[in-house]
Amino acid sequence: MSRQRRAAGLGRKPITWAHPILIAMSMLTLFPLVLTVSTALKTPQDVRVNPFGLFSSFSTDNLVTAWTVGRFGDYVANSFLLSVPSTLLVIVLSTMGGYAFARLPFRGRTTLFYLVVLGLLVPFFAYMIPLYFQLRSMQLLNSLIGVNLVLASTGLSFGTFFMRAFFAELPGEIEQAARVDGATELQIFLRVMLPLVTSGIGALAVFTFLQNWNNFLVPLLYIPSGEYRPLTTGLYLFMGGRTVDIGPLAAGTLITILPVVVLFIALQRQVTQGFLSGAVKG
Amino acid sequence: MPLLLVVGIFLLFPLANAVYFAFVDFDGLDPAPPWVGLGNFTELAQDRAVWAAFRNNVVWIIIGTVAPLAIGLWLALLVWGVERGGIFYRLAFFIPYVLPQVAVGIVWGWIYEPSRGWLNRVLNAVGLDGLATGWLGNPNTALYAVLFTAIWATFGFVFVIFLAALRNVDMELIDAALLDGANAFARVRYIILPQIMPVFIAVTTITLIGGFAVFDIVFVMTGGGPAGASEVLGTYAYSSAFGLNRISYGTTLALVITVMSIPFAVGLNRLQRRLSLEGGGA
Repeated sequence: MSRQRRAAGLGRKPITWAHPILIAMSMLTLFPLVLTVSTALKTPQDVRVNPFGLFSSFSTDNLVTAWTVGRFGDYVANSFLLSVPSTLLVIVLSTMGGYAFARLPFRGRTTLFYLVVLGLLVPFFAYMIPLYFQLRSMQLLNSLIGVNLVLASTGLSFGTFFMRAFFAELPGEIEQAARVDGATELQIFLRVMLPLVTSGIGALAVFTFLQNWNNFLVPLLYIPSGEYRPLTTGLYLFMGGRTVDIGPLAAGTLITILPVVVLFIALQRQVTQGFLSGAVKG
Repeated sequence: MPLLLVVGIFLLFPLANAVYFAFVDFDGLDPAPPWVGLGNFTELAQDRAVWAAFRNNVVWIIIGTVAPLAIGLWLALLVWGVERGGIFYRLAFFIPYVLPQVAVGIVWGWIYEPSRGWLNRVLNAVGLDGLATGWLGNPNTALYAVLFTAIWATFGFVFVIFLAALRNVDMELIDAALLDGANAFARVRYIILPQIMPVFIAVTTITLIGGFAVFDIVFVMTGGGPAGASEVLGTYAYSSAFGLNRISYGTTLALVITVMSIPFAVGLNRLQRRLSLEGGGA
């Protein structure tokens, strides 16, 4: 829409003094990122003498140390193993659930929907402790399956809520037309309705992936052995290690945030749109 | 439906278990823990550390809700009123929100570092040496230092939501107000704010509930220290359960936090519904 081109604002004239303030605020938000990159890419000697000075030397030594000695290479792989399946699970289940809650009449629909979205109200730590003992008795501690399932469950409430809003907006005539043409319920869902909500699915996918990638507490609690430890908990434990070496720590931080930042910049529109519809819809 | 199965096993069942844990004294091992009735609750009420953490949560909720709302709204109004750079500012302000909190905590730890951190260096450079301190190690500043970091990481979210809401504001009304000679503050207060009220309340709800549930950033930056100065209910529940093996006590505390936050969520949600029904814009 080209009407976005013109500034709206408090009147018809653009606010001329806004840019200096906005640029100053941008510097404040971007400075910690610059600091991370600069510290990570220094020579180890330089870090020791001048830990937080900006771009005073260049070397990839810290990155190499973090990747191999700090095991961040393994952590990257684990982060994918924990966030990709859980994200897929959230997408599949919330799309199906959202569709059912929006368009299929069944008994107890409202009650069940409230039970599912209860997770939006209840913070994770309200039940994290009993869940630990439950996973232990189910032999799911330290397992990829267990942690993926828990990560998925933390995203399902929002996912179902979000997808239901998308399905609820579709006009009923499309559904009826397909039914008149003799389509089965499954065909209606897969061939008719699903293609109409792809933008919602895309936004939910990016959002859920970021959540699961960034999740810290779930893997910290439910992978006590350290097998399959992802970047976030890996970074935390690395920070608490006996020799707090800032160079490799900065490099590890960089490795942890780099995929998030790249994904975010590439899909900036979908991410922000996703947050918008999630907060404003329903 | 598999959705209900996952939500049931990993959300509702542990939540029910949490309620059970609250009425017994479970140490993590005993298969048949003794029933203590309201014992955990009465102990909580007398625990001075709980009250201290509660006070910190209240500070967090007030400042941590008001500051991001004010900054986010102000910046959204500014970006709304300029002709160029909207995409850059959206990227710059929103990026802290998508970063993992562990990484955010580590980098801000460097900025707050007493001897060579940027904050103290800047203070020294401008002649405010007297203010320089070990931000995270000083009991008087630890909570606020962490809170500032959290505000840094969340105002971008508020900003993006408000920016979208502003697109629906009726420009004719603003023009009319300009003709009537209303100043900028009056235009915001009487024309713009009422039109974005439902969104305003939605964002307030999200940040408010987030204030009860705060955990990661405090855990990573100070662990609640020094000497409990930045302890919040979430970190106290965690350390009671996993640090002291007082599983039931920690669970009870987590439940109490949840129950306290729910009335706010429901109340604000009602208010928002009513405003939307009255047709207040978005």
